[in-house]
Amino acid sequence: MKNNSFKLILIAVVALASVWSLWPTWRDYALTKQLKSFHSSEDSLKFAIDHRAEIEQAHAKSLKLGLDLRGGMHLVMEVDILDLIDQKAWNKDANYYRIMANVRNAASNSSSNIVDLLASGFAKEKIKLSRYFYDMRDSDQDIVSKLKKEEQDALMRAREIIRNRIDQYGVAEPVIQTQGSQRLIIELSGVTDEARVRKLLMGTAKLEFRLVKEPQMLLRAVEEVASVPLQATPQLPATDVPADSAMTAAPATVAATAPVAAPITPSPAPETSSVATKKLSDVIGMLPNGQVFTPAYARDAVTVVLKRQDVAALLPQDTQLLLAAKPEQTASGEKYYLIYLVQKTPELTGGVITEAKATFSAQDAQPEVLMSMNDEGTSKWARITGANIGKQIAIVLDGAIYSAPVVQSRIPSGNSVINGIGSLDEAKDLEIILKAGALPAPVKILEERTVGPSLGSDYIRAGMLSMMWGFAAVAIFMIVYYNKAGIAADLALVLNILVVIAVLANFGASLTLPGIAGIVLTMGMAVDANVLIYERIREEIAEGKTLSMAVDVGYKRAFSSILDSHVTTLAAAFLLNVYGVGPVQGFAVTLMIGTAASLFTAIIVSRVLFDLLLGSHFMDEKSFG
Amino acid sequence: MRLFQKTKFNFIGHRKIAYTISVVLLLSGMVSLFVRGLNYGIDFKGGSEVVIRFDKPVDVADVRAIMMQAGVNGSVKQYGLDRSMLLRTDFHGETTTLKSLILNSLSARLPSNPAAILSIRAVGPSIASDMKISAIKALVAALVGILIYVSFRFEFKFAAAGVAAIFHDVLTVLGLFSLLGGLIDFMPLEVDQSIIAAFLTIAGYSITDTVVVYDRIRERLRGQKPSDYERIFNESMNQTLSRTIITSGTLMISVIVLFIFAGPAIRSLAFAMFAGILVGTYSSIFVAAPIVFDWQSRSKNPIKLRGA
Repeated sequence: MKNNSFKLILIAVVALASVWSLWPTWRDYALTKQLKSFHSSEDSLKFAIDHRAEIEQAHAKSLKLGLDLRGGMHLVMEVDILDLIDQKAWNKDANYYRIMANVRNAASNSSSNIVDLLASGFAKEKIKLSRYFYDMRDSDQDIVSKLKKEEQDALMRAREIIRNRIDQYGVAEPVIQTQGSQRLIIELSGVTDEARVRKLLMGTAKLEFRLVKEPQMLLRAVEEVASVPLQATPQLPATDVPADSAMTAAPATVAATAPVAAPITPSPAPETSSVATKKLSDVIGMLPNGQVFTPAYARDAVTVVLKRQDVAALLPQDTQLLLAAKPEQTASGEKYYLIYLVQKTPELTGGVITEAKATFSAQDAQPEVLMSMNDEGTSKWARITGANIGKQIAIVLDGAIYSAPVVQSRIPSGNSVINGIGSLDEAKDLEIILKAGALPAPVKILEERTVGPSLGSDYIRAGMLSMMWGFAAVAIFMIVYYNKAGIAADLALVLNILVVIAVLANFGASLTLPGIAGIVLTMGMAVDANVLIYERIREEIAEGKTLSMAVDVGYKRAFSSILDSHVTTLAAAFLLNVYGVGPVQGFAVTLMIGTAASLFTAIIVSRVLFDLLLGSHFMDEKSFG
Repeated sequence: MRLFQKTKFNFIGHRKIAYTISVVLLLSGMVSLFVRGLNYGIDFKGGSEVVIRFDKPVDVADVRAIMMQAGVNGSVKQYGLDRSMLLRTDFHGETTTLKSLILNSLSARLPSNPAAILSIRAVGPSIASDMKISAIKALVAALVGILIYVSFRFEFKFAAAGVAAIFHDVLTVLGLFSLLGGLIDFMPLEVDQSIIAAFLTIAGYSITDTVVVYDRIRERLRGQKPSDYERIFNESMNQTLSRTIITSGTLMISVIVLFIFAGPAIRSLAFAMFAGILVGTYSSIFVAAPIVFDWQSRSKNPIKLRGA
């Protein structure tokens, strides 16, 4: 009996610890219910203020519900490391572009590390990496390790920047994790405006101040590219358009809030079909004042063409044709976008921005973002503006021109402004992005799951129903089939479920619908250990052993099968947790906890119960059914 | 209550029949896999999935036609309750665009029946192929792990036969998914991550039942002559028949509850588990142990069993 009292204490400790860790969950639920029960909002506010500490504490320690039950957004994003590497390269030539295009292709079909792919891509062509990266004297190995370091830094930086943005936007308990060498997993609960959040996360906010070239140069440049067909010639690498263009945010989309409906699946829009045969000159026009424009419907096509390597090569040295971010309107209401010729090398970049503020402009009450710069930026900005009085400087954000004001005088204060922004929300998001800093490389969304709150509450109802029915059905079956012994198994089962939920709550893991499915399955599996034991006890009783001997032998002999079956199930659940992504991991976690807990509950808990019941003569040979 | 007590089935004697049934099951599954292939979910194929709920009941065909006209190519199916539809398309792009396209076209064509989007899922092709690779890795790792563990606990012949039984179970369920994929309206039977979860659970569970039988055989085999093996195998299997079936039965209860109550998101997983438990229970009696028996009778080495 001494042995048993130790076990009894152990069971009591486990049970109490479980109830203890579930207590905040219960309080959280009760408090929330109470908050909602007040008729006036004043009462509920008063209650919330009075019980603030308790509410917050209960909430912090309560069982978290997964995004599928609560409603929210789950995103898997990829940082475009190849773009980052491309930024690091110099001396780029045709060979370089060709190999990079191959690498990009290979990367979209493989899950290997992108730097390794790059190294093997260049090695295949017998070209040393040092020709394009870092120092000529570096060996390939040095460069690979340097690039890998860059890759790692970029991912960490991207995570921090995205975290900053989310924090400033204000989402409760965001989860941001890195996965592998270039992915981020982001979970945001209770997000209502998904489109805005997506834009906020993907915004690279690459801010540049660039000189605008004179109108004559613009005209000459437009003449050079006029005969370029709008349809891309396939063999030429379009460096800025990733091969895996699925779900990519073309840099322009950040700026694009104009109602330009991008055609989805091949829709028979007349513009798109005719674009194929048209030349650039067909969709570019000139205004009487010398400005060049493209109509709104051709904007996307023109943007893509102007980014192409072969088109860029036709332009004068160190220049680039860029479109305005916002359309202008003719008197008759037709929308068009201005095209500018700007210097390719920026005078100044967004890295110098320290403060940003979204406001309405004093003149026309349009939303704008005021920016101030650090010391280095301020002195540079003063020099640049001083040297270019009377010229236009374009404010370029993610490759689109927001405004191109004419410099009136030298600006010594380091202030500048972005105007031409569609809405105040957009200005606010821009403020957040500018303050949080630019992402080191573009990101794209690989996977997205959005669950609305109404579906979430459906899932909760379905999950609760399954748990209740699952428990009732298994518990009743055990009593019907095993009589009084079934009660012991059922008590062990209750403890098992308590332990699973308590462990989830304690370790901050969240409960998802697949997780609930895992718990229901665990109920069916947890009693298996008892079934094996009871069947063995029945056999021993049938062989004429006394009850207490039969129980003894039953537990001992069944142990080997129970251990084997639990180990194999644990292994399978563990692998699922390692290799699975997203919701199935919740399933794997509850299955793992449940299986491990059932080793304890079925073998120790039900055993102690038997010893107690046998001692009190509650059970006899017939108690095993 | 007692079921299956003191049975005297001649399992080993009739094993040829069981082998035939298994071969037919596997072959028809294989043929279907080659001919019909598998109905992959967007986890492994990429694409978008949208759950739309209408205020009033609506005809699937109507929604399908509206989506076709809107230029959203894909399938429209009933999703759980009769007012919800699951739209699946190979659309890769901004989900916002897809969302507004769907809602605009629906509100234009069905103005009296407002619709809301409950959830959207979009999976890019590169992550889909990653998930596929991970799923295969997980299954292979599980099989190798089980092979090693059971060899360590019993012996290699037992382990190999147990893994063969797992193969048998998973392939049969996979074949069933291929045969029935897309045929049943309330249950699309697509192979996605949750099905991989089901397969791994089936793998873990199939060996559970098998180990119960093995355990008894090991216990009874000690110090017996090879000529008695057939009798011992049969007796062991009959003695453990009750627990094999009851353990599967309790899990079956859970799975049926999930199938009925847990909603459409879990239904395919529950169905896979249901089929997997049935086949798994069958295979632990009719596949695993008979293979060990046949292998043992052909081998010159005596059984050297580890463990207690």
